[in-house]
Amino acid sequence: MKQQLGKLGLREYISIAILMVGAKATEDTPIHLFSKVQNASWMIPILSAGIFFIPLFLLLKTMTLFQDKDLFSVIQKLLGKYLGFMVCLLIFLISSYAISFDTRSYANIIRTFYFTTTPNLIIYALLMVVCTYGARKGIQHIGSVAYLVIYLSVFSLWFALVLCTQKSTFQAIFPIWGPGKLEILKQSSQKLTLFADFFLFTMLIPFLTSIKQYKKGTWFAFVYVSLQISVAILIYICLFDVGMDGLAYPFHTAIRFISIGSFLPNVEIIFFVTWLMSAFIRFTAFLYLNSLMFGHLFKIKDFEYVIPSLATIYLLIGSIPEAAVNASTEFKALSLNISGPAFAAISIILWLAALLKGEFKREKNRNSM
Amino acid sequence: MKKTGTVCNLLMFLFIVCLLTGCWDKEELEDKAYVIGLGIDHSNHKGQIKVTLLLANPEVGSMQGGGGSTEKPREIITFDANDFIAAKGTANAIISRNISYELLKIIVVSEEYAKGSGFLTTVSDVQKDKEIRLDGHLAVSKENASEFFLKNRPKMETRPHKYFQYMINHGIENGLIPDSTLFRFFNTTYRETELYLAMYVSAEKNKHPKVQREDEYMAGQVNATGELDDTQFMGAAVFRNGVMIGKLNGQETRIVNILDDTTNIKDILIDLPDPFSNKKKQISARILKTKSNKVKMNVKSARLKIDITVPLKIEIMSNPSMVDFAEKKNQHIVKRQIINHLKKVNEKFFKKTQTKLKGVPYPLSMYARRYFGTIQEYKKFNWRKSYVNADIRVHPNIQIIDYGKQTKSLKR
Amino acid sequence: MKKRIVKTLFKKFNTEPQFQEQSNTKDIERKKQDISSNYDQNIQTFKSMFSVPKNTDIKVREFTIRALNRRAFIIFISTMVDVQRIQESIVEPLLENELTTGKIRDIVSFPIESTATIIGEITEFITGGMTALFIDGDNQCHLFETTNIPGRSIEKSDNEVIVKGAKEAFNERVIDNIALLRKKIKNENLIVESQVISKRSRNDVFLVYQKDLANDELLQTIIDKLTSLDTDRILDLSILEQYLEERPWSLFPTILYTERPDRAASFIEEGHIVILMSNSPSCLILPATFWSLMHSPEDHYLRVPYGNFIRLLRLLAFIVAVFSSSFYIAITNYHVGMIPPDLLMAFAGTRERVPFPSIIEIFMMELAFELIREAGLRVPSPIGPTIGIVGALILGQAAVQANIISPIVIIVIALSGLSSFIISDLSMNFAVRITRLLLILSAGFLGVYGLTAFCMAILFYLVSIKSFGTPYFAPMTPHFFSSKDLIVRHLPIKERFRPGYLKPKDMVKQRKE
Repeated sequence: MKQQLGKLGLREYISIAILMVGAKATEDTPIHLFSKVQNASWMIPILSAGIFFIPLFLLLKTMTLFQDKDLFSVIQKLLGKYLGFMVCLLIFLISSYAISFDTRSYANIIRTFYFTTTPNLIIYALLMVVCTYGARKGIQHIGSVAYLVIYLSVFSLWFALVLCTQKSTFQAIFPIWGPGKLEILKQSSQKLTLFADFFLFTMLIPFLTSIKQYKKGTWFAFVYVSLQISVAILIYICLFDVGMDGLAYPFHTAIRFISIGSFLPNVEIIFFVTWLMSAFIRFTAFLYLNSLMFGHLFKIKDFEYVIPSLATIYLLIGSIPEAAVNASTEFKALSLNISGPAFAAISIILWLAALLKGEFKREKNRNSM
Repeated sequence: MKKTGTVCNLLMFLFIVCLLTGCWDKEELEDKAYVIGLGIDHSNHKGQIKVTLLLANPEVGSMQGGGGSTEKPREIITFDANDFIAAKGTANAIISRNISYELLKIIVVSEEYAKGSGFLTTVSDVQKDKEIRLDGHLAVSKENASEFFLKNRPKMETRPHKYFQYMINHGIENGLIPDSTLFRFFNTTYRETELYLAMYVSAEKNKHPKVQREDEYMAGQVNATGELDDTQFMGAAVFRNGVMIGKLNGQETRIVNILDDTTNIKDILIDLPDPFSNKKKQISARILKTKSNKVKMNVKSARLKIDITVPLKIEIMSNPSMVDFAEKKNQHIVKRQIINHLKKVNEKFFKKTQTKLKGVPYPLSMYARRYFGTIQEYKKFNWRKSYVNADIRVHPNIQIIDYGKQTKSLKR
Repeated sequence: MKKRIVKTLFKKFNTEPQFQEQSNTKDIERKKQDISSNYDQNIQTFKSMFSVPKNTDIKVREFTIRALNRRAFIIFISTMVDVQRIQESIVEPLLENELTTGKIRDIVSFPIESTATIIGEITEFITGGMTALFIDGDNQCHLFETTNIPGRSIEKSDNEVIVKGAKEAFNERVIDNIALLRKKIKNENLIVESQVISKRSRNDVFLVYQKDLANDELLQTIIDKLTSLDTDRILDLSILEQYLEERPWSLFPTILYTERPDRAASFIEEGHIVILMSNSPSCLILPATFWSLMHSPEDHYLRVPYGNFIRLLRLLAFIVAVFSSSFYIAITNYHVGMIPPDLLMAFAGTRERVPFPSIIEIFMMELAFELIREAGLRVPSPIGPTIGIVGALILGQAAVQANIISPIVIIVIALSGLSSFIISDLSMNFAVRITRLLLILSAGFLGVYGLTAFCMAILFYLVSIKSFGTPYFAPMTPHFFSSKDLIVRHLPIKERFRPGYLKPKDMVKQRKE
């Protein structure tokens, strides 16, 4: 009954996870998927969730061996000091790359649809400033805000999707296999990045009350998020059909099109607000995770102080692409294709290392004793 | 430690500076001139189009009692421009406020321009503009769009946005015009498998209109007299790949609207030949469509076979032959008659689309997709070609739910 | 870290000023001594201490105790005591009793009596309204609680009006206040602990809690905080509130201030700690969460559906009060497409003749509304209603006719102003009104994006606020065990737990059968 302060509650963790990963349905990820597998792209989230389940399961199993240790400690323990450091650095770099261009793409969305003449830098900077402020408050408070926001944002997302179904034709999902079963399988193995964040969440294990809680939350969020992304893409396909190819951000195009009755013809602002809220949470948590990794890598105890500097660096990196199109197609596509498989590989390597070192056996012995 | 603090302070400072300079997109709403209707015509200058903007005057009709101004409710300007987005700038030479497409309700294209090849590229600009919403409607006018707007003088709805909103909504509900949103236009054009219908409008009355049956008119052909506005919304213009290729009259548009599950029609009043008299009398009936069609296709056979079941609910509204509908026999006759009539009319219409238009004017191809596993197979099947030779059968599934208020009529 | 820089800077510019002060060490020294057994010395000491002839309401009466045949004097402050009772039950027996038992206790018929020896202590008691009796040759002084301070009787609650439920309110007499609480909780575990908190005016503070419920740690933190206060005087509970708060600059209150004993009692029963103070017609409840500030006692007095209806209404009012004007600015300045065409035309039509940008317009009206509100508070009550009419008529109708304000703005401001009244807690009310102004600015800066960004920042801030270790949004997030009395309340039978964030000693209110 007593809950220690300073710990992240289960529901807060689930909220962060859902907002962080679920948000992928509302940016340009569906387009990246659609360009490859057309109307079968709704299957990709489910299939890659199925594929990613294996490394995630192995990773969690490995993590259970080291009660209440975070990912980086485990990596360094299993892979040795130098190799471990290299792997951690790689993870940090990949996620830094991802956050830079993810934030940029959000700034692009805001600018393209709602603030067409405002300089991108201002929008981008405001996003980062708020995220920095939030991240400085610590993961417990990010979790609390996430929990306050989650119902609103999830409800409004589903509400928007339901409104979309009014104007969509279900037949658009046929031919069911899209470009062919093989291609779908190939793409779903490549698009593991959809769930890459779950790999990073293992950094948060020490903040939760127990690893059991963590596992419970992770699996719940994992299943829900894969369903949510899949259904969202399915509904975009039904709404836009082949026209989706030419869009940049289907969610925002959709909410501009839908209406609630004839008196409220344009309701995109309502959905925009809740979308923005989840976006802020997403990047606040992401920023916090990155600084956590950074602090771990370079042994900085009070890593909260590096958050502003890290945010500035990400802001600068994110500002490199000149136009929105470049950011989405060149830079982001790269991270979308690389990080998932890389993280999956690391998870499996960790498990193998633990297996070879006999950690599992030791655990068994400990239990039998 | 100290450095991060400084960075923090600098960030704060930057933020405050931003606050002070802010407000890039900020624009007071009365500073804008809202375009309700946009007309596109052929221009005499090469590479240009003639743009007509119908602007609403917010001051008219907004005041509740007192203080009403004597200004006109609208302003119309026509000029040559490269495209209608650049036209926003040009228009400011004439209009005192910033032009905004936020409230754009209808894009009217003259028939002449719609038949040309330049139309598709011009309309595509809609997708680039950030203000135009895809739920605006596309219409084709018989005369030039500029003339259409000029001659359109609604008597009851002086405010143009209200006029178009009512006109379009009720037209679609009655099935006389297609639900021709821009969204649908682009979707159809991308899909390339079917034809797109745009509403057909005219503000010019035909000099000598033929008297026809209730719904066989086109816009401009309905012969109405009195103190009224000559504008008529009726029928549809048919587009294939973004080029206008033909027209459908009101009746045909209705058939399409009944067949098309993606359009929300309310209830439609139609005429049916009276089975009890041979003097060309008509029964009027109300058609309600509550359920979706069932479409079955045989794609494997050499000739595409399509079976469409249309579930309809019908209320009989008039009884010109004074028949007693309480009798089972009469009910049966009427039902049979309606089924035959609808089947005949629909199949005739499909024949027309196959021969004359060479394409189906609503997303029928969507039903064919499920018979294929992959996109490649579907493309190989080539819907367009198959459709032209298809064997189409319509099976109206009729349920007569009402025979009018009184079943028994006066004896002659 | 940033704070440290600011602090050092601040110190540089703000040095403690040096004053030439008179030393009172002599007085302080004297106060620490015991009284002597010498009658004359005593009378001398106290007369000089209270500067007797000059200080008109200090009365010293000398007489001889007949029974003992010794000289004695009593000293009291005539404005603070019941002179009649002194006469009847102290002076008369002493003068007339002839029994020679030698014990004052047997002679005097006054019910409450105690003794003291230290001069400082005795002075304190005398200033508190007690009567001190000094007897020649006795080295201790007898004290009688004859206090009778004039004050208000118990009245109806003025600021927290409810329709159903108890109507009494706290008044300035702390004894009455404690009695009101005792009346509601008849339990020997209800502790009333008193503490003196300021040095010069020596104000009393009473901590009221249930011994078997309140968390000891929490109690200790509050006591520590109270003892660590180093100040000359704290006149009122509302000033003490500011001393106690962790973030005195914060916009949002972290201590609940109420004048309703029923409310205080219900919080005590949940394990909260209540602070009372003499001369303050209210109490402080700690710790307070966002929810306790938003709730009203009536929520629970009404039947469940009605109670929840007003709860939801209040939530709606909160949202309207905070967001309506900023949202208006955001959509009219940035997201015009959002407004339905008819409404947009109406807005544009009426705005056309208004010379100011809409943000200035909103600010003007917000200011006007606050002015009317403040004026309505300060105006003597006979003229009060007129102010409302003048405000509404002149500022509303005339401003519109003069084309200074568009009618829509009046609707927006009136709506948000009216809604803010529904939040009954005064501090929360202010928080809402000030936040509203900030939100208008942020909406003017970047429309809905600026608004949302600022809201998120506020949310992050709110979540990090703690009231004596309790997170602001507890028990919603972070989650604690509780009877889930947050946005909606449940049946009283279902509310079986005390809030877990207090870590009460007894968690369950009623066990399941």
